[in-house]
Amino acid sequence: MVVPVRERALSYAILTAMAVLVLIPVLAGSLTAFKPQIIWISSPPVWFFEPTLENFEFVLITRQNWLHLRNSLIISIGSVVIALVLGVPAAYGFARFRFRGSKGLMQWLISLRMIPPIVVGLPFYAMFLFLERATGLGLRDTHFGLILTYQTFLLPLVIWMMRGYFVELPAAMEESAMVEGYTRIGALRRVVLPVVWPGIVATALLNFIFAWNEFFLALILAGNNTSTLPMAAGTYVVRARVEWGNLFAVNLIIMMPVIVLTIFLRQQLVKGLTFGILE
Amino acid sequence: MKPDVATQPGGQSLSRRVYSLTQRHRHWFFIGPALLILLTVVIYPIVFSTGVSLFRVTFASTSRPFVGLQNFERMLGNDDFLQSAYNTLYYVVFSVSGSFLLGFGAALLIRRISRGRNILRLVLIIPITMAPIVVGLMWNWMLDPLFGLINWFLGLLGIPGQTLLAQASTARLMVVLVDIWQWYPLVFLIIEAGMATLPRAPYESARLEGVSSWMIFRRITLPLLRPVILVALLLRTVDAFRTFDIVRVMTDGGPALTTETLSLYLYRTAFTFNKLSRAAAGSILMLLVIGLISAMMFRFLYKDIEVG
Repeated sequence: MVVPVRERALSYAILTAMAVLVLIPVLAGSLTAFKPQIIWISSPPVWFFEPTLENFEFVLITRQNWLHLRNSLIISIGSVVIALVLGVPAAYGFARFRFRGSKGLMQWLISLRMIPPIVVGLPFYAMFLFLERATGLGLRDTHFGLILTYQTFLLPLVIWMMRGYFVELPAAMEESAMVEGYTRIGALRRVVLPVVWPGIVATALLNFIFAWNEFFLALILAGNNTSTLPMAAGTYVVRARVEWGNLFAVNLIIMMPVIVLTIFLRQQLVKGLTFGILE
Repeated sequence: MKPDVATQPGGQSLSRRVYSLTQRHRHWFFIGPALLILLTVVIYPIVFSTGVSLFRVTFASTSRPFVGLQNFERMLGNDDFLQSAYNTLYYVVFSVSGSFLLGFGAALLIRRISRGRNILRLVLIIPITMAPIVVGLMWNWMLDPLFGLINWFLGLLGIPGQTLLAQASTARLMVVLVDIWQWYPLVFLIIEAGMATLPRAPYESARLEGVSSWMIFRRITLPLLRPVILVALLLRTVDAFRTFDIVRVMTDGGPALTTETLSLYLYRTAFTFNKLSRAAAGSILMLLVIGLISAMMFRFLYKDIEVG
């Protein structure tokens, strides 16, 4: 496309302004995480200083936020693993078999994306509570309880994303393997899985981000044993006036893995965020 | 489905019949477990919630009298509920339209430049991947009346420090602006991905015929992008409707309920005021409304693209 010079210059100016407005709060905030306590609140802000890691040490060890980090890891990884174990076969089923209602079921899966978390979070809390009172079986404040509830948003997404990868593969692949004597499961394991492996990894990482950032369900359902990093960050809002450095240290711990993953996942990101509806 | 050889009528052995039965239903072997879990973690809670909303249930008491639709009536007659419903509508209207216009604009602009596209995309992805709670906390700091960058900047311009999050007149707008800051890049990414797949032929012939660029945009780009636009609007609408995280950490609904969203209000009704049934009734109302809205948008969407 041939673009007049003036139009292009204007485009550059506006887009650069947008990028700057995105970067300033993120960078300036992150910088605070490395500031020694005496300059946390200095205004005008101090831009040049000797960076320190003491804020990270303080939140992780003294405030014991490493426990939240551990809980976040257990819950995020656990819920992604479960979502994959259930979702990948289901995606394969949807991609390969046409049956009555298959289209409707897929649409139903998208519609789950519309459900506000309060709609499931509220009954989950009550169900866990009543279950515990009735049977003594405690799902409240357990990692497994949260992993289970996270399936409400992870599982439909895994199925939709993985279905896209399976549909791209020619069905002849496993059929020829089955002619050679493999069972369908054998053909799946030996022939199909190695090919869709990159897709599984991308799906897993993207779903990890969603589980990692989740706040609402954790707020309702997690307790002392399971509270996650976003919840830990939330506690600093009360102390925030005086603890900017600590707050941004926690924020940065939450952001770091996601930013690293995003660099590898840029292509898949849109697909994941839109359920791959646009494929 | 193609009929299996084994399903042909006439003398079949039992094992053949069992085989054909499993063949015909083999998709359930793959789909069944996932479906079962989804029924347990999504459908059952909703049914449970609907049940709870018809009784008077609290976390403490053991008697649970049936009250019919009383909880729904109380909810709809409650000023705070209506106020938070109004606020939620405000969020949906302004956050969706704001992020849509900015994101769409950015997507149009990025097609006019060549160098720096990738780095720009990478920068704009950052807010999307941040946890909303982190975004909220970060902007708390930016907007802090004493130490925030915004007020420092306003100070340079000679404007005295503002407590933007503590004033009823500005708090709601601030929260919406922060929401737009986080999510207009999503619209940008979706629209840009859609634009990359547009066919070239109609543009070339239109240009040959000397059609103005505004008409090209209206008559070619917009209609071709319709499904992409709908997806972006749908996602933004359902997300704005459920807003909780950033409000929770930025204003917690205040001042004077001006920023309270439905999610926040129902959370408080259940867990602060221990009115489980009433909150359940409210959440069912919420589900009905967003269900209706997204069903209408889906309808438009499915006219355009083949799903499933």
